[in-house]
This record gives sequence, C-alpha cells and structure tokens, in this order.
Amino acid sequence: MKITVSINLGGYSFNIDEDAYSELKLYLKSLELHLAAEESSSEILSDIEARMAELFRSRLTLYKQVISMTDVKEVITIMGNPEDFSDGESTSRKAKFYTPGPHRMYRDPDHRIIGGVCSGMGAYWDIEPWIIRVIMVALIFAGGLGLLIYLILYIVLPEAKTTAQKIEMKGEPVNINNIKESVKKEFDTVRKNMNL
Amino acid sequence: MDLENTKAQMRKGILEYCILSVLSKNSCYASDIIRELKEAKVIVVEGTLYPLLTRQKNSGLLSYRWEESQQGPPRKYYELTPEGKTYLEDLDKSWDELVESVNLIRSK
Repeated sequence: MKITVSINLGGYSFNIDEDAYSELKLYLKSLELHLAAEESSSEILSDIEARMAELFRSRLTLYKQVISMTDVKEVITIMGNPEDFSDGESTSRKAKFYTPGPHRMYRDPDHRIIGGVCSGMGAYWDIEPWIIRVIMVALIFAGGLGLLIYLILYIVLPEAKTTAQKIEMKGEPVNINNIKESVKKEFDTVRKNMNL
Repeated sequence: MDLENTKAQMRKGILEYCILSVLSKNSCYASDIIRELKEAKVIVVEGTLYPLLTRQKNSGLLSYRWEESQQGPPRKYYELTPEGKTYLEDLDKSWDELVESVNLIRSK
C-alpha cells in the first residue's frame, strides 16, 4: 500500500504516488531555479508543465490510474535535465545568477508568529527569532515605537515565497544542491505533520 | 574536443531556425512542433523547446492564441508574425549560403 497525492498539473488532475510526487516536485523546483534568470520564466514553466501533463495522461489507462515513480522518471528523461536546456545565450546570465548568493531580508512565513517580520530578521542575521521578538515587545511597551517599526517592516519587507528567496534570506548561495536540501526539508515537515 | 558536445552545439544553432520553419507552414501547438523536430532528429530533450519558444515570442517573431481542445484544457497555438516571416526569409538565405560554403570547402 502506498499513499497517493492529488495534484493539478497543467490543468489536469492526477493521482500520484507520494515518492513520485516528491521526485516531480524536486524536478520542477530545479527547473524553476534554472529558468529564474530567463524573462517570463513562469510562462515557460507552465508550458513545460502542460506538456508533462500530456505525457502523463498518455501513460494512464482505465487500469492504471496512479502516476508512479517510473512514469515520473520516464517523463523527466523525455523533458531533459535543466542543465541540458540552456544554450550559449543564457549561460552568461546563469553564471551571474549563481555567483555569490545574494543576501536579502524577507519576511519568513515558515516560522512566523504574526507576519514573519521577526523570524525574517532572525534568519537574516542568523540569530534566534525570539531574541528579536523580546526586543520588539519591549519596544512596543516602551512608548509604542515597536509597533510602528513592525508595521513599517511588515509593509517594506517582501515575503520569502519561493525556495530561492528562502535561501537568499539566509544568505546561502542559490544552487541546485541548496534547493534540493530546502525542498527535502519541506517534505520532512509535511510528513511529520501528517503523522501527527 | 568532445564529439557529442560539438554535435549538440551544431543542433542548438539550427534549432531556432527549425522552429520557425515548422511554424511557417501552419500554426502549431507545442506538441506538434516537438513531434516534427523529433522526427527530424534536431531535438533530443523536449525541455529545450520551451525557453526558445518564449524567447522568440517575446522578441516579436511569434504570437500565440488559445484554442479549445476536446481532450482537455485549452492549448496554446503559435504562429509566425509578419516580423517572424521576414526573419525566417533572412535565415533561409543564410542557411543556403552556409550549405554552399560548407560544400565548397568539403569538395575541394
């Protein structure tokens, strides 16, 4: 017995084995990263997703209704590794994108209590967020300045939504290995939550 | 020198030209283009096509429209813009010149 996940890929809905799902998600994440320097990367991604959906559809029959790891691996072979796509034009841009990891402050939605401002600052400076929270609360009680600071930061700081942004927030270089690690971490959290 | 790499470089160079040529006959959706390119063996992994298509669309050589499909979600049909047609004519010419040049060198 296996757990399956229900996904929407390119407008089709699929049932997919859990392990196949994490493989697929990893692949799409690394694509996203590779295309990040490209203009209209989200459009390219959705085109690729639509094609993958088509390939998956052709693998399903009345008697085979769940996408397996083999299907995912086969489709990935057909689509190719993101490294193989890039041609001369984008390699120079990619090189710029890879070298040293940008370090930006974001709001951290994964460890937030209210808006992720304090957790974001903690991730940026690599200190425990509770220290910042204590200072913030102290500033709120000492004349309300903390509230103003919090509100301004909440408005000014963008939320770290993509995996690449979450890595930037910590100032680590954005590359495939880091993305893979982050995605794996995400899965582990999801898995833990499901077992609870 | 790596033979496979040289071959891949050659293919990459003509892929853009081939996409425009496929679309010069009639408007296609991405999977049609892929089928033709695969038959002609100019493409190995399918993913290569999509960044190129979008790049050509962004530079005004291609446009697309959404068309309903009986089998699922609407499909994106690409076609050449007037600009793309002139671009392709130029490429046709330089391709002929290239073939001529290479043949000339090889026959010497």
